[in-house]
Amino acid sequence: MLAELGNILIAGIKFGAIYALAALGLVVIHKATKTVNFAHGAFAMLGAFGSFLIVVHWQGPYWLAYLLVPILIGIIAALIEFLILRPLRRADMFTVVIATVFLGIALGEAFRLIYNTELLAVPGMFVGAPFVVSRVFVTKETLWVIAGALVTALACVMLFHHGKIGRGMRAMASNVRGAQLCGYSVDRVYMFAWFLGGALAGLTGVFVAPITGVSVELSIAVITAGFVAGVIGGFDSLRGAILGGLLLGVVESLAAAYVSSAMKNCVSFILLFFVLMWRPEGLFPERVARRV
Amino acid sequence: MRHPSFHHLMTFTFSALVGFGFVMNSPLARAQEPGISATEITVGAIGALTGPLAFIGTPGRDGLTLAFNEINERGGVCGRKIRLQYEHASSPAESIAAVKKLVEQDKIFVLILASGSTGAAAAADYVREVGVPTYNLYGSTPIIRKPFSKNVYHGAIVPVEVASLGLISMFYDGGNAPKKFGVLAGTYAFPQATLKAVEEALKVKNINYIVEQFDQTARDYTSQLVSFSRQQVDAVLFLGSFSEAGFAIKQSRELGMSQIRWVLDGSAVSRAIIPIIGDANGIRGYFNTPAFPGQTEAVREFESRLKTLLGSMPQGRPNNYDIIGYGSAYVVALAAKSTGCQLTRAKLLDAWSNLKNAGPTQLGGLDITFPESFTPADHQGNYRLGAAIVKNGVWEVYRVLEKP
Repeated sequence: MLAELGNILIAGIKFGAIYALAALGLVVIHKATKTVNFAHGAFAMLGAFGSFLIVVHWQGPYWLAYLLVPILIGIIAALIEFLILRPLRRADMFTVVIATVFLGIALGEAFRLIYNTELLAVPGMFVGAPFVVSRVFVTKETLWVIAGALVTALACVMLFHHGKIGRGMRAMASNVRGAQLCGYSVDRVYMFAWFLGGALAGLTGVFVAPITGVSVELSIAVITAGFVAGVIGGFDSLRGAILGGLLLGVVESLAAAYVSSAMKNCVSFILLFFVLMWRPEGLFPERVARRV
Repeated sequence: MRHPSFHHLMTFTFSALVGFGFVMNSPLARAQEPGISATEITVGAIGALTGPLAFIGTPGRDGLTLAFNEINERGGVCGRKIRLQYEHASSPAESIAAVKKLVEQDKIFVLILASGSTGAAAAADYVREVGVPTYNLYGSTPIIRKPFSKNVYHGAIVPVEVASLGLISMFYDGGNAPKKFGVLAGTYAFPQATLKAVEEALKVKNINYIVEQFDQTARDYTSQLVSFSRQQVDAVLFLGSFSEAGFAIKQSRELGMSQIRWVLDGSAVSRAIIPIIGDANGIRGYFNTPAFPGQTEAVREFESRLKTLLGSMPQGRPNNYDIIGYGSAYVVALAAKSTGCQLTRAKLLDAWSNLKNAGPTQLGGLDITFPESFTPADHQGNYRLGAAIVKNGVWEVYRVLEKP
């Protein structure tokens, strides 16, 4: 019974770590630019596709995918901010959100037109028998995904809270005019936020590719899970995004195992509903200190 | 005002009748049969070219196109080229709209449903109502099959009652004797149709089983697999697509459940499942044609011709939908030819209902599908399946499952 619970929890944490990474990218962009990027899932899908190209199509090493893909997707995201979203900066928020929604759809459909197949399979980075501890099975791939995603997420939090560019993003999030008066460039900070969000989406894609394969449906899966995890954690909290992602993964797994396998997708929305009813600011919101 | 005399009235009526008769018997009038012109036979088809069902519709279109191109290069049928008009349709609403467009606007001669169960079920009532000759290529759903309709034919995909018996029989191949069955089924249309038939068959055979389900495009099967493990299931029947099956089997290995015998529904039997799983040896499933791609010279030649048509071969293809599309195009051409070139829908239905052993070879095509035979009372052209297994990382058909 305990072994069974252990297996379920490990699966939940694995998917939760990926949800956390996805949510973090969304939250970083939102925190700095106040834009909810609904094209985030499409960026992750492009990341997974990049991983397919490097590892399967060109037979390159996996480390190259982990190195190159986040940078490339980050650059694509920054270019999109420069070319599409910057001209819309003075438009109302609704226009910008709609732009990201349709951008995501366009990227997905473009991929589907080019690679019209149900799924592109990407092999795992690690092969071999799983580790077995008291009938709890853990593969190297699972360990890599959990550790890799969480370490990256924590590094991102550190950068945001302690790095120079992170200070700029936080300043911009707090007060755009004030940040400008302090010498921060809106253009530069926004572009970097999109680069960082895109890079996180790209990395999510590389982590997720061996687990789910590459398909257009991946973009919907990533944006849905990332958005729900972000809202549960508190959409302005990086720490909340990580904890929200892990919580969502574990709750989904437990519900599917002990309530009904058909509950897996449904439970995330039930959880979202209750959090919005009970704590609309999220379970782990950013603490705001004010001098009075 | 002067009234026409009786003589004038009779002369006018006679002239009108002669003129009407002349017009009705002229080649121009004969060309008014929907989808038939002096030079072309227009065949309409629907199927998903984008979206999650594109793995059915796109190969369907490509297999049909390849076959019709070949037939046209050999002079066509009854001196006419066959023109394929293919409409994208994924959802039920899109399917019914596409079928109506083909029938009412484009005036096609024959309708091919290359859309799987979703589109076939949506179009079922309409095609019965308008009576257009309809060929259901991939829909296993009973909605398109029952009640019997004189204008609807079914090809390589066998009824779910037949498929379910074939699937269950594969668990016992090689002297295997499973103790407890698990059925892992998708919650969407075609797995549910098969699940119903499988459950009935398992109950009749008094086999102990449990059912776990998953949503379409699911990637995490831990909870279902843990449930199987808890109940000591040693044989799992998978009803869903290859991508879903691939990740379920991969995860079962990661959870130490390597002793399970997996048997997959035909939709999951694809080359593309092997890179997902890695070592897929021993996995079984049925295939809707007598040989898997690469297994015989004819199928290898088919693959080569398809590659020439497409430019490059997408991952996981050719699949059974490519092959069935190709074979089915020849069945349509044979049915048209069997009318004695009296190309009316009524003659076509008569001819089609009496086709025997119809397949590509009769018109010079490749021998890659089970030949199809129809009777006026039975419009299911094929009842046979190929039992397939992965050996050395490659699928192969190891025996033919005859009609139970």
